[in-house]
Amino acid sequence: MKKIVPGLLTAALLLGGLESCNNKLNVQPVSTIDSATAFNNSSDVLAGLVGCYAGLQSTNLYGGYLQFMNDLLADNGDESFVGTFTQPQEAQRKTLLITNTQVSATWLSAYDVINRTNNVLANIGKLDTPAQQASAEGEAKFIRSLMYFDLVRSFGKDWNDGTPANNLGVPLVLTPTLTVADAQQVPRNTVAEVYTQIITDLTTAEAKLTTGGPLNAFSATRYACAGLLARVYLQQNNYAAAAAAANRALASSSFGLNTFYGENFGYSTTNVATATVPINTSANTREDIFTIQITAQSGSNQLNTFYARNRRADVTVQQQFLGLLEAGDTRATLITTPTASVPAYTRKFDAQYGNIKLMRVDEMLLTRAEANFRAGGTPVGATPLADVNAIRTRAGLQPLASVTLAQILKERRIELAFEGFRLGDLKRNQESTTDPLSNATIPWNSPRLVFPIPFRELNVNPNLKQNEGY
Amino acid sequence: MRKIFTPLLVVAALPALAQSQALTGRITGTDGSAVPGVTIVERGTTNGVSSDADGVFRLAVQPGATLVISSVGYTTQTIAVGGRSSLNVTLVANATDLGEAVVVGYGTQTKADLTGSVATLSSKDVGNQPVQSFEQSIQGKAAGVFIENSSGKLGQGIRVRVRGVSSISGGTQPLYVVDGVPVVADNLSSTTAATNPIADINPTDIESISILKDASASAIYGSRATNGVVLITTKRGKAGATRFSVGVQAGWSEPTHKREFLNSQEYVSLITEALTNRGGTFAVPANITARLSGYAGGVDPLTYDTNWQDQVLQKAGFQQYDLNASGGTDKTRFYLSGQYSNQKGIIVSNQYERMATRFNLDHQATERLSFGINLTATRSVNNRVPNDNAFSTPMQIVALAPITPLIDPRSGQVSGALDPSTGLPNTGFPFYYNPLLSIQGGTYVTTVYRLLGNVYAQLNLAKGLIFRSELGTDVLNQNEEQYLSRVTSRNTGNTNGYGYNANQTNAKVVVNNYFSYKNTFADNHSVELTLGTSYENARINGNSVTGTQFPSDSYRTLDAAAQITAGSSFTTSNALVSYFARGSYAFAGKYLVGASARLDGSSRFGAGRRYGIFPAGSVGWLISEEDFLKGNKTLSLLKIRASVGKTGNQNFGNFASRSLFAGTGYVGTPGQRPSQLGNDFLSWESTVQYDAGLEYGFLDNRISGEVDIYRKNTTGLLLSQPVPGTSGFSTINRNVGSLRNQGIELTLTTRNFVGDFAWTTSVNASINRNKIMDLAGPDILGSALNRAQAGQPLGTFVGPEYAGVDPANGNALYYLNTTNADGTLNRGTTTNINQAANVPIGNPNPTWTGGITNTFSYKGFDLSATLVGVFGNQIYDSAAPYFSTGFNNGYDNQTRDQLNRWQKPGDITNVPKAVYGGGIGTGASSRFVQNGDYGRLRSVVLGYNLPSSLAKRGFLQSARIFLQGYNLLTFTKYTGWDPEVSSDYVTGTGNTSSNNISQGISFYTAPQARTYTLGINLGF
Repeated sequence: MKKIVPGLLTAALLLGGLESCNNKLNVQPVSTIDSATAFNNSSDVLAGLVGCYAGLQSTNLYGGYLQFMNDLLADNGDESFVGTFTQPQEAQRKTLLITNTQVSATWLSAYDVINRTNNVLANIGKLDTPAQQASAEGEAKFIRSLMYFDLVRSFGKDWNDGTPANNLGVPLVLTPTLTVADAQQVPRNTVAEVYTQIITDLTTAEAKLTTGGPLNAFSATRYACAGLLARVYLQQNNYAAAAAAANRALASSSFGLNTFYGENFGYSTTNVATATVPINTSANTREDIFTIQITAQSGSNQLNTFYARNRRADVTVQQQFLGLLEAGDTRATLITTPTASVPAYTRKFDAQYGNIKLMRVDEMLLTRAEANFRAGGTPVGATPLADVNAIRTRAGLQPLASVTLAQILKERRIELAFEGFRLGDLKRNQESTTDPLSNATIPWNSPRLVFPIPFRELNVNPNLKQNEGY
Repeated sequence: MRKIFTPLLVVAALPALAQSQALTGRITGTDGSAVPGVTIVERGTTNGVSSDADGVFRLAVQPGATLVISSVGYTTQTIAVGGRSSLNVTLVANATDLGEAVVVGYGTQTKADLTGSVATLSSKDVGNQPVQSFEQSIQGKAAGVFIENSSGKLGQGIRVRVRGVSSISGGTQPLYVVDGVPVVADNLSSTTAATNPIADINPTDIESISILKDASASAIYGSRATNGVVLITTKRGKAGATRFSVGVQAGWSEPTHKREFLNSQEYVSLITEALTNRGGTFAVPANITARLSGYAGGVDPLTYDTNWQDQVLQKAGFQQYDLNASGGTDKTRFYLSGQYSNQKGIIVSNQYERMATRFNLDHQATERLSFGINLTATRSVNNRVPNDNAFSTPMQIVALAPITPLIDPRSGQVSGALDPSTGLPNTGFPFYYNPLLSIQGGTYVTTVYRLLGNVYAQLNLAKGLIFRSELGTDVLNQNEEQYLSRVTSRNTGNTNGYGYNANQTNAKVVVNNYFSYKNTFADNHSVELTLGTSYENARINGNSVTGTQFPSDSYRTLDAAAQITAGSSFTTSNALVSYFARGSYAFAGKYLVGASARLDGSSRFGAGRRYGIFPAGSVGWLISEEDFLKGNKTLSLLKIRASVGKTGNQNFGNFASRSLFAGTGYVGTPGQRPSQLGNDFLSWESTVQYDAGLEYGFLDNRISGEVDIYRKNTTGLLLSQPVPGTSGFSTINRNVGSLRNQGIELTLTTRNFVGDFAWTTSVNASINRNKIMDLAGPDILGSALNRAQAGQPLGTFVGPEYAGVDPANGNALYYLNTTNADGTLNRGTTTNINQAANVPIGNPNPTWTGGITNTFSYKGFDLSATLVGVFGNQIYDSAAPYFSTGFNNGYDNQTRDQLNRWQKPGDITNVPKAVYGGGIGTGASSRFVQNGDYGRLRSVVLGYNLPSSLAKRGFLQSARIFLQGYNLLTFTKYTGWDPEVSSDYVTGTGNTSSNNISQGISFYTAPQARTYTLGINLGF
């Protein structure tokens, strides 16, 4: 008896164990899911599309760093970064190191979003209705184009700098990475190839969204697609196409300028006068064509972190910029008044959970004005004078009797200040900037104004070629 | 043949038989003093007792019995009773007792028969020290075990490396096993500063620690053994009168070192120079005056001279109370303990408090069946400070200007406190967020409740054959509660308070069933066999809620938050099914052979490779037992051994082999995204380790020690390989690449004096060379300059080499280090750091480490001093680009060495020109790498034991008073805060590769604590 017990015990343990252990080892993840089951049905694809917008919200992208780093790289003394972070400092000095971790993070986040859009595009067929399919394709292509446009502008030479067909842009990846084998060491496509892809995608997207319409309140619309096309054409100095696209972006009757510029940033005419306004949000207004949504629960507004004087107060507004503002310009109410020991700060990003206004009617008006002006001939939509005066009147300024290109560009510089437009504008207008240390002039096509291909990428991909000057 | 004795058998002591005879005896040391706690066992039986506080024991034995008398630290004696009814035994102290039982995986082995490399430590080495976790106490005491306390923050992660680092992307900490149960050691911190779950184990409860180093010792733990296995055995009761022991200890801590920053005068003069050098509007004198006056709160800049560092480093109290009781009968024995310890940090607001209880019980139910329980319940409360990279972390206060007042005269409050008129922060004053506001208005408390223990039953099936079944569980429940009041709003946002509450439960169930068999045949053939199975299941689940908008700062829990800003929950788990076997054979007690194997099936392995087998074999020869050496007093011990075996490491993410998607909502709408690329054939990292050892003893073991030489070849690294970002991913997991650790370990113990005045010296030294052989892909980058690069040790600093300052213009120069057309190295210099090639410029791995412990005793006095040393490593001061660059990165206060900056053509210096925001020399380079060698007087303990005659007058069995110093002296040329450093924000992240690679980084990292305590231990 005593000998049988342990014998049975052993047998039970060893044999019983063997039989059941495979089951015991079959532990499934629950906080995440197997990729194979990610796109089973229509709503899975819709969720994938929402994931693309969530990607855009990253602080490395439109959560703020992308606009911020571009502005600092272009800046010639409108603003001054006084914070401790070395990444923005390098941008301000126009001496980016190849190891700049923010440049690398932006690259990674941008391609993460691109992969998300590629996953959606590969599963479009699983959507229930043709309308949904059209919408999702349009939105995904808009997002992918947005990413590629900012990547090619940041990491490649400007369209007008030399020959776009010879200049290196960024790698075009248009299919999802599903397996390890898909993670290829892709070379850089040319600037021209990237622009071609963007224009093709956006043209398709605009048409698809005209058919399908937006899927969510925050979705990109056909107007956003046209607006982005306007940006792209403007960057190429293709003024006629830019004017036409800007005009299409403005075509919705639901859009219009707010009566007060500050409404774009959460203020009203009454509360903006108070020195300190504890605003928390800046919701979408009729002026918004496409925004990055931020709520207390979703996303983080990095522009608030850096610019807001009640947060890090890392960026001061310099006299050079204040000097651009005419007396009575209500846009000046969004800048604090400097004192002897306290410099000026912008109030545009005081709302901690403020939406980031990526594309507004005012930009499109100024784009249409400039593009019409420079294209010459019959203006599309409205005359440059009318468009500029719409902006000026809204800012509380006297309308102009006639308009020059310099006046249009000056309005643009004031209207869109600190919102990530300076670098692109500087390059296409072939302006120059200055080295903040030596005060030496840095021409628009200086390699110093192009981001380096991140060291992290060169390290893993020998087929990538570094930019000139790094 | 030496008789084998194991505590297991003692535990299973049989009731005395009827025809036995009574025996009393007394055990004394060579100095005549009583030796309590000695185990006396009747040979060949399980009949035994232990000596009491007076060294006295009583035991009923069979006529003609032989006693085996043993105690840790003494030579075991075998004495025939021979009809005597009383017996006096003098035990000789011995550091290398071959009869000593060494705890190994699933059982014990006698030291003499051991063919593996095992470092053992006893209760004397831990406990009674002013530290939170036992690893800190054994720093520098075990050869081949490198232990690094990351900073002076309390309860933080501790880096333990057994024979080097064998993984790049997997875990590198050893497996911790407490009383047979592998315990939870995962970092559960919500911040990137790791916490240490091992600190929940009360060091005072530890009886012994075995660190299994070579494959033959550790392979029984299979796929988790590569990083070494630390076996902790807790104290157990012994039959006899109930003994109480009380310990009280109190003292204080202070920082080991403070760093020198510019004072007001120096700050004003240097920043003025830097602003002037910057030129333009910066250089206009009126602007400089206005700027500095702004920094000073609107007054003359020289009004204040604030030493900010002193505001966050403090002298801090420590107290600890221990009470334990143990005893029992032949059938039932118990050990009960309780501890309360409270240590305040040298960093203000930091505190670690622990309440621990333990209950160990053994019961002999029948002749064959015994069972028992080991159980510990702990509550620890850690008042934490933010990680090193947070603006709010106290140490970052050194960035503030000395001309900024501590108290803003305009408001009468701490500088940076909210403007009373608006309730908002003072714009840009001080120029950075003042961390004192977070100390004033923030709390971050981590509370851990932990229940760890097991029940066992043991059946004595036949002579020498035991079946043991253990059911263990480890439940760790952690709550993190944070509140940041309005005063912190510049750092956290103007949200009317911020609250965060997170709970995590890490629960583990372990079932071990095994047979062990020990027997000796025909006097010469000694056999030990172990065969068993094990099943483990671990599950972590957690949730967290974040909220803002509190009615006032008096409300600090989330039920008062008007806005919930984030909420989350997660679950993850893994299972491990194992079969293991071990056998050893000794012929004539001198020819030894051992073998073991474990088969592990893990849910973490890819579907294509679920099971791995990990075998090991070893041989040994106890030469001193040979006839030609036996009894030789000069060469009293000589043993050689060798082993080879394979171990694994599966310490990586639970679902690392899967292709995964994760949820990612967008403003209230559900979304998903790809989160990981999978690999069905992902599997354990495999390490083959070779070890050869020599154990020696001279002059009757007055001089003794061990030498080990080893090589660990790790292949199929579970590498989180970087992939082009264009794929949408940054890494993929693959079993590729290999690395190697090889080294030599040496221990030497000399008993210089024995007798009334006793002096023992223990020395250990370890050399480990780590080298990455192959990465099968690109280098893996860590934080700053650290890198995994083939041909280099893990974590090597690779970057631009600083060439000093151009005497002509004060610019920073870097060596090009590019290859010329003719293949030579271009040692030309450049001011453009981007043009300088990245070359190895330092190694964070020490070339050797060691420790010396001297113990003296005379009459009732004893003195023990441990000196530890770490040599040959470099440290990268990641904060130097901010505070040691002559204002080239902005207005942060600078270290005083910046006064040596270049000023005019011809100046020869290593510190470039001071240019405000000029970026000269700020890039990461060898400029900020320096040697990290140090020697440290880790601990000094001076004790006095009251003579027992005196103690007894106070109804005490024993009384001891002691004075202790911890980290008393540090010898180093390192200029930072403390050379024992590892910044927490780069080593506790979700990216394990980066954590492993980012060694030797200092970033505003708090110095270690120097602690003085006075204590008393009473036994009654």
